[in-house]
Amino acid sequence: MAESKIPGNVLYTKDHEWISKTAPWKIGVSDFAQNALGDLTYVELPNVGDSFEKGQEFGTLESTKSVSPLYMPASGTVKAVNEALADAPELVNQSPYGEGWIIEIEEAGSLDGLLDEAAYKAHLETL
Amino acid sequence: MPEKTALHSVHQALGATLVDFGGWDMPLWYPTGAVKEHLAVIQHAGLFDIGHMAGIMVEGPDAFDVLQFAFTKDISGLKLERAAYGAFLDSDGGVMDDALVYALPEGRFFVVLNVGHGGAIMASLRARASACGAEIFVRDLAKTYAKLDLQGPAAFRVMRGLLAEPDSVFDKMPYFSFKGDIELNKSGVRLKDGTPILLSRTGYTGEQGFELFVPYASVTDIWNKILAEGEKDGVIPCGLAARDSVRAGAVLPLSQQDIGPWPFTNNPWPFTLPRTESGGWTKDFAGREALERAEKNGTAPYTYAYCGFDPRKVTSPDHHTHPEVRLGETRIGDVLTCVADVSIGRVDGNILSVASPDRPEGFAPRGLVCGFVRVDRPLAPGTRLTLADARRRIEVETVADIRPARTARKALGSL
Repeated sequence: MAESKIPGNVLYTKDHEWISKTAPWKIGVSDFAQNALGDLTYVELPNVGDSFEKGQEFGTLESTKSVSPLYMPASGTVKAVNEALADAPELVNQSPYGEGWIIEIEEAGSLDGLLDEAAYKAHLETL
Repeated sequence: MPEKTALHSVHQALGATLVDFGGWDMPLWYPTGAVKEHLAVIQHAGLFDIGHMAGIMVEGPDAFDVLQFAFTKDISGLKLERAAYGAFLDSDGGVMDDALVYALPEGRFFVVLNVGHGGAIMASLRARASACGAEIFVRDLAKTYAKLDLQGPAAFRVMRGLLAEPDSVFDKMPYFSFKGDIELNKSGVRLKDGTPILLSRTGYTGEQGFELFVPYASVTDIWNKILAEGEKDGVIPCGLAARDSVRAGAVLPLSQQDIGPWPFTNNPWPFTLPRTESGGWTKDFAGREALERAEKNGTAPYTYAYCGFDPRKVTSPDHHTHPEVRLGETRIGDVLTCVADVSIGRVDGNILSVASPDRPEGFAPRGLVCGFVRVDRPLAPGTRLTLADARRRIEVETVADIRPARTARKALGSL
């Protein structure tokens, strides 16, 4: 498998979500995650205005065979969802840190405990 | 350590994502991905490595009699160069495995089984022969040949370019027929370079195509030749994820998931049982008494194909748990298979495929959830059901068929 992309401008969870380090607070999944899931066929998004705690499930990513939950890297209220994913869930596969962002939240709660690029890379090596 | 087919290093070189399937390290998908691979089978052709499947030879003076009893399909009319699809049942009427039986000259029968099932079916045939004093010889053909599956509308054009004598091979080759011999040194079907093969007009996709049985040592060369010949037609290697979603849309069962240790009746595959028009049987067969009892007592469950209205699925955390099937608020059964067929979509409630001749312009479906449910009561087609797992509920309906415009039975050369 090609080397997984791990950009340094976001923080990561052990479940392979990422969150921006500063506003705008975007959330998505890592290159490792999109590769492991395979081609996405559907993305289930929350509604603008929904609030979630850190670690709470906020949506799902689907491939032809599997359904994977998405967990909040930090608490927050949904400010925007990536509407493009309704017609093109494959954006998550093609551009997981860019056009494949999933939601944006108003303000992130605590970012304590999230992994920087080095820690996430180390985490991937244990899998 | 999982087993490897002869093509394992080819899959690695192609960057396939490999997964353990039945104890074999097999490609789940290639870098093209499961969606493009599924669509390739419907619109071009896909090449599958199916070297993990089992194959046995059944021969000897009583081979026909023993098989005729052990196999659900009535093979009394099975001519040479024809194959039959059916199942091997146990004494409870449950499925040990489904299989294809190929009728070869000199009273030989080649039986193709699912991964890991060769041993159990051989043992069962030998036990039956013993019990009734029949004389048969059964042997495992593992590694005497390698097996490829080329499925999709371009398969015919590709094979025509590779065979030494395509006109004679394709002459009188209906669906479920084959040319050549699995004892490849006896096979009259050859590729242009003289390699003998058995070419079977069968497959697990519902689309037109061929299963190729080739010398084990030649499989990499033939794999490469097929891809080179088919490149201009969009032929690509495809993995098991695409294979599963394509077969589900074609209403084909997966052994030990959609058919298994429960009575093999009340399902979408009645043609596998030897019934007469008046509801009797044309022959005796293993499991017959148990099926009759289950049907009489109403203890046999009902298996139906279903299709939903968007691609969202239900899943289960392990092989022992099934998502629920509900009729209204009542749980009536289990979900057996749940995948997305990405080549179909609903138009005014009707299911259309990317291959449907009447599809609207610009039809680019996102796919529909589909598969099989096993329930405790008969249901008419079009019955709305709720499928539920720990996370979600989805609405689906029972259907007589899933993916339309399938090409398996179309005349060769017509696509």
